[in-house]
Amino acid sequence: MKLRRRTRADGAGQRHDPCVAELIRALGADRVRADNAARHLASADASMFIDGAAGPVCFPDSTEHVQAIMGVAARHDRAVLPRGAGTGLSGGAAPLGDPIVVSTTRMNRVLEVDVEDRVAWVQPGVVNLDLTKQVASSGLHFAPDPSSQQVCTIGGNVANNSGGPHCLAYGVTSAHVLAVEVVLSSGEAVVLGGLEAEPSGYDLRGAFVGSEGMFGVTTKIAVRLTPDPESVKTLLLAFDAVSDAAATVGAVIASGSVPAAIEMMDKRCVAAVEDFAHAGYPRDAAAVLLIEVDGPRRGVEAETDKVAEIGRAHGGTVRVAADEQERALLWKGRKSAFGAVARVAPDYYLHDTVVPRSKLVEVLEAVYEIVDRYDLTAVNVFHAGDGNLHPLMAYDSREPGVNERVAAAGREILEVSLAVGGVLSGEHGIGVEKRDFMEYQFTSADLEQQALLRRSFDPHCRLNPGKVLPSAHSCADIASLSAFKADGVWG
Amino acid sequence: MIAPPVIEDAELLAFAAEVGPSGPVAVRGGGTQWHVGGAPDHGVREVRAPSGIVEYRPDEMTVCVRAGTTVAELHAVLAEHGQRTALPDGSGPFGSRSSTVGGAIAVGRSPVTRLGNGHIRDAVLQLRYAAADGRLVTAGGPTVKNVTGFDMCRVLVGSLGTLGCIGDAILRTRPKPEHEQWVQLEDAEPQTVLRTARTATAILWDGSVVWARLCGHHVDVEDDLARLPASSAAQPPDLPPYRWSRRPKDLYCLPEETGRFIAEVGVGVVHCERPDPDPPPVAPGVAALNRRVRELFDPDRRFNPGRSVERL
Amino acid sequence: MSESLGLLGLEQAERDSCVACGLCLPHCPTYRVTGADTHSPRGRIALMQVVDEGIAPLTEEIVEAFDSCIQCRACETACPGDVPFGHLMESTKEVVESTRGRAPWWLKLGLRALTRPTLLRIGSSCLAVAQRLRLVPSRRLGLPDRLPLRRRALRATGDDVWLFTGCVMDAWQRDIHLATQEVVEATGTTVRPTGDAAPCCGALHTHAGLGDGARKLAARVMSALDGDNAVLVNSAGCGAALKDYGRLLGSDEARAFSARVFDIHEWLADHIDEMDANPLEPAIAVRVAIQDPCHLRHVQGSHMAVREVLEPFVSEIVELDDEGMCCGAGGAFSLVNPQLALDVRDRKTEAISRSRADVVVSANPGCSMHLAAAGVTVRHPMELIAEALRAR
Ligand SMILES: Cc1cc2nc3c(=O)[nH]c(=O)nc-3n(C[C@H](O)[C@H](O)[C@H](O)COP(=O)(O)OP(=O)(O)OC[C@H]3O[C@@H](n4cnc5c(N)ncnc54)[C@H](O)[C@@H]3O)c2cc1C
Ligand code: SF4
Ligand code: SF4
Repeated sequence: MKLRRRTRADGAGQRHDPCVAELIRALGADRVRADNAARHLASADASMFIDGAAGPVCFPDSTEHVQAIMGVAARHDRAVLPRGAGTGLSGGAAPLGDPIVVSTTRMNRVLEVDVEDRVAWVQPGVVNLDLTKQVASSGLHFAPDPSSQQVCTIGGNVANNSGGPHCLAYGVTSAHVLAVEVVLSSGEAVVLGGLEAEPSGYDLRGAFVGSEGMFGVTTKIAVRLTPDPESVKTLLLAFDAVSDAAATVGAVIASGSVPAAIEMMDKRCVAAVEDFAHAGYPRDAAAVLLIEVDGPRRGVEAETDKVAEIGRAHGGTVRVAADEQERALLWKGRKSAFGAVARVAPDYYLHDTVVPRSKLVEVLEAVYEIVDRYDLTAVNVFHAGDGNLHPLMAYDSREPGVNERVAAAGREILEVSLAVGGVLSGEHGIGVEKRDFMEYQFTSADLEQQALLRRSFDPHCRLNPGKVLPSAHSCADIASLSAFKADGVWG
Repeated sequence: MIAPPVIEDAELLAFAAEVGPSGPVAVRGGGTQWHVGGAPDHGVREVRAPSGIVEYRPDEMTVCVRAGTTVAELHAVLAEHGQRTALPDGSGPFGSRSSTVGGAIAVGRSPVTRLGNGHIRDAVLQLRYAAADGRLVTAGGPTVKNVTGFDMCRVLVGSLGTLGCIGDAILRTRPKPEHEQWVQLEDAEPQTVLRTARTATAILWDGSVVWARLCGHHVDVEDDLARLPASSAAQPPDLPPYRWSRRPKDLYCLPEETGRFIAEVGVGVVHCERPDPDPPPVAPGVAALNRRVRELFDPDRRFNPGRSVERL
Repeated sequence: MSESLGLLGLEQAERDSCVACGLCLPHCPTYRVTGADTHSPRGRIALMQVVDEGIAPLTEEIVEAFDSCIQCRACETACPGDVPFGHLMESTKEVVESTRGRAPWWLKLGLRALTRPTLLRIGSSCLAVAQRLRLVPSRRLGLPDRLPLRRRALRATGDDVWLFTGCVMDAWQRDIHLATQEVVEATGTTVRPTGDAAPCCGALHTHAGLGDGARKLAARVMSALDGDNAVLVNSAGCGAALKDYGRLLGSDEARAFSARVFDIHEWLADHIDEMDANPLEPAIAVRVAIQDPCHLRHVQGSHMAVREVLEPFVSEIVELDDEGMCCGAGGAFSLVNPQLALDVRDRKTEAISRSRADVVVSANPGCSMHLAAAGVTVRHPMELIAEALRAR
């Protein structure tokens, strides 16, 4: 793990890049940025990782443009890195080496909405929440709702198979993608999956979802739209002990209820969020749960009572949002949590492990103990309903030696999560930050099979090389990277 | 220190050893869908996956089950805790009592309740399988949510055993609803039922009659019944043998060749009396990609020779 | 609090407080239209960091990234981490301006004219004549369709409150001041217009990175408006600037002055009960869309007051569905970055047509002129209220 470095060599000029002229010829000058400012900004995502330096940054607006970029990359044997909004938290969009970056932000049109079949074709740069807003008048929405939904792109959601609070009941991105048009490293565009019920062949659509930009660049996506529920109730439960909140989660699931969402925030997170959103979260609680129940009206009422009952039985106090405004405010608070951590410290590093729900209490206690021991600040905010932890360490990277402590604490948190039968990542993906931990969850045979899947799509390992698979398993990736000395765009 | 994982499951290791590193081989499940994608070549060595439930965690809503277990057996155990999976168990109009978990996953066809319960691929959390070199491989992971590594499970679901021999699976379970019933609606527009019924997990249509399976809170099903056109309790219809794949909206303009048909409204599967004369075409680029996957995973074509996931 | 300052004079703690989450991106008008990270708040902060730390030289492209910022500060409202973007950008612009002299000569000349009220009025009357002779392409220059040839005089009626009259607005939109005075007086409050003694608030100077000019103007305004009386402002941009004198000058006196400054709507919301004509009806029959000037919504945070004071006087208020996205005017921004300003404005005019409103109200002269140039009917909320009062 490498954390963001703050010092780099003083400013040299522009590096000559032989691809630039060809890219400009293919796309036009206003769709290619080769200057250091643009390259510097394309060299990081929302994770704390930065190592390589982006090459030219392209802004295609059609499938043909992306094919043209792929052609230039092939001629120069250059890596290609797709980039959406750059909100990834595992360094997926942070380059290794100096790839040509394909930014999808201008491919932001909703191409077609079919209300009858509840499908929309969108370009990859469409912002998740924008799609939902656009189809709202038809009583439909796009169900995957990462907390970053106001900014992240659907292309990024597909690449990371992103989840979100409401994926507890509705399923993650993969369950909402019917087809993807993909430009492969050969430059060929193929449509994987389809709008018909059972497209023939292997489920290559399913393989592509979650491939973290390493199988191809998706240029068009057919997403399923979900009918809005008839009724929604949001409960805020406050507890004096984190363990009571965690036990409530287990009890709700075990009772046979599947709420739309169950989110947990600890005291420190509530304080940061409340300072921003003023949503009325109780600052004195040790932990709060935000539980949402949706569906047909009368069933929702019954479920709400049931969940409230379980919460009270575990010592919680219960508040049900009175109206849409209160509900929206509570969610605004929850969804701004990572950003609000800026109020605690200027840097954060987080894991994304999933553990069995019955182990939540145990793992949370261990997380606090570990983070305290390394003299860092733990903030917990996560998708409790499916056991998806986001143990977050807030710190100030200017403090000497802090990066090493963060790395060591992070490793211990992983150990604890895997030891109870958990997995490395629930929704943020492996990218580069978690890549070297893959060997703790998978055997070498497992990883070789994953590498085969990658090679089926991208035999040259041209797309986003060096990610997900640890070095021994990532075919030619490493060879193409070693030529590059990572010292930033102004290096 | 964390150590790399080691699989110590003797039964699975024995299964992988039986599959071995060479020679043509086919896994036999219940044999109920043996024809899908063409029967394997004659005389291929057959192996059977182990059977039995390895670990059931009702509070986690997951179950680890050997591939040779029948779905019916599995569901009988889950029913004791008021749960089941999205796999077809032969209790409805689709699937057979003798189909196995491994077979259902390899064939990858969801039962008629896909509308409400989702595709079966979304219920598969982890698969352990013997790869072409005979090594035991884990795809996915045990938790209800997981994006660690590439999504190998999705590729295996519906792969007809051509990429690996599935030994066991961890599946997501779901609580059985408080109430469920099939109703039959005369003179109802299928689109209207789809839009109106909030508790429907399946809607079937034969061109004139609509059947709906309503599941959920008792009160919600009651409300649906009040909202829908007049209906009566009924058994679901039998399904004709052939399966066509269409866009949901194309169900309303089916050609003559279907014979008697039952269409899955909102999903697009049509059960017909004759095979599909005009299946949606596979683009050459996609066909090539399919072939490459097969070649890389099973270079000697030893798994289920003669069977193919591509329509002929 | 003040730590070591880097090459851009930024406080390290402020500069590094951004965690790069990106939640501000969709609220940034320039990122929305170009999709470039260099045109996003997160990107601009990252570039400030590398320049401030001496890692990157101040290249043309980096300067462009700063210059293309409308300084609408929507990113600041959106940021859950409380990153003070406005201050960072103002300090940055000041250093960039002093080292590179970015502001074009005509802009500097124009800004100087703002501080000379008589000159400004004469100039603007000349323009008005030229307009009537069809000598200037008003729309293209973003000018009001018909600049006034003559202005009705503003007269003091007492000393209860100051009404800040400013520069361009006084020359071009004096009717709004008259309407404002009428509304304030309807609450039984006497008004003294500030007039030429406090000619300009300096907001445009600050945005252009001309910090010294801004500080001089601030001192001049403060000395002209001594005493304890409230200073009411009906231009969102001026109000934001006057409220920020405390930080700009860093003195107790300036902080005390800023505390006396109120946006007119904010003040009226507290005094509306004092109007004779309560309960207030009938309302005028119009469907009004509210355009929130960024300096009201994101900087002063008093945009809700506009709704509160307008509500009793008009039949219907509709919200635009773009969550207060900037209209692209940005003080002098539309003059310096015309294409970007037009692209941003297009999004706004689309939202306005979706709202099917009869009239749009805006509490900032810059915004209303920018929108009017696109053919939108824009009024100041005070004009509508004054009209409603007269109709009673
Ligand atoms: C505040 C905050 C909250 C978050 N909350 C959640 C959450 O609740 N759930 C969750 O799952 N994630 C969450 N995330 C992580 C992140 O937002 C998601 O992973 C998101 O899907 C990334 O989208 P993006 O457009 O920013 O992609 P980027 O970060 O730009 O890219 C992510 C990956 O996708 C690839 N990619 C992008 N576009 C394409 C394309 N067109 N074709 C192929 N590959 C492509 C990139 O190469 C990269 O590997 C959060 C992040 C933040 C900052
Ligand atoms: S001030 Fe406005 S234009 Fe500038 S970065 Fe912030 S949101 Fe964008
Ligand atoms: S300015 Fe705030 S919202 Fe924007 S990236 Fe930084 S921390 Fe996040």
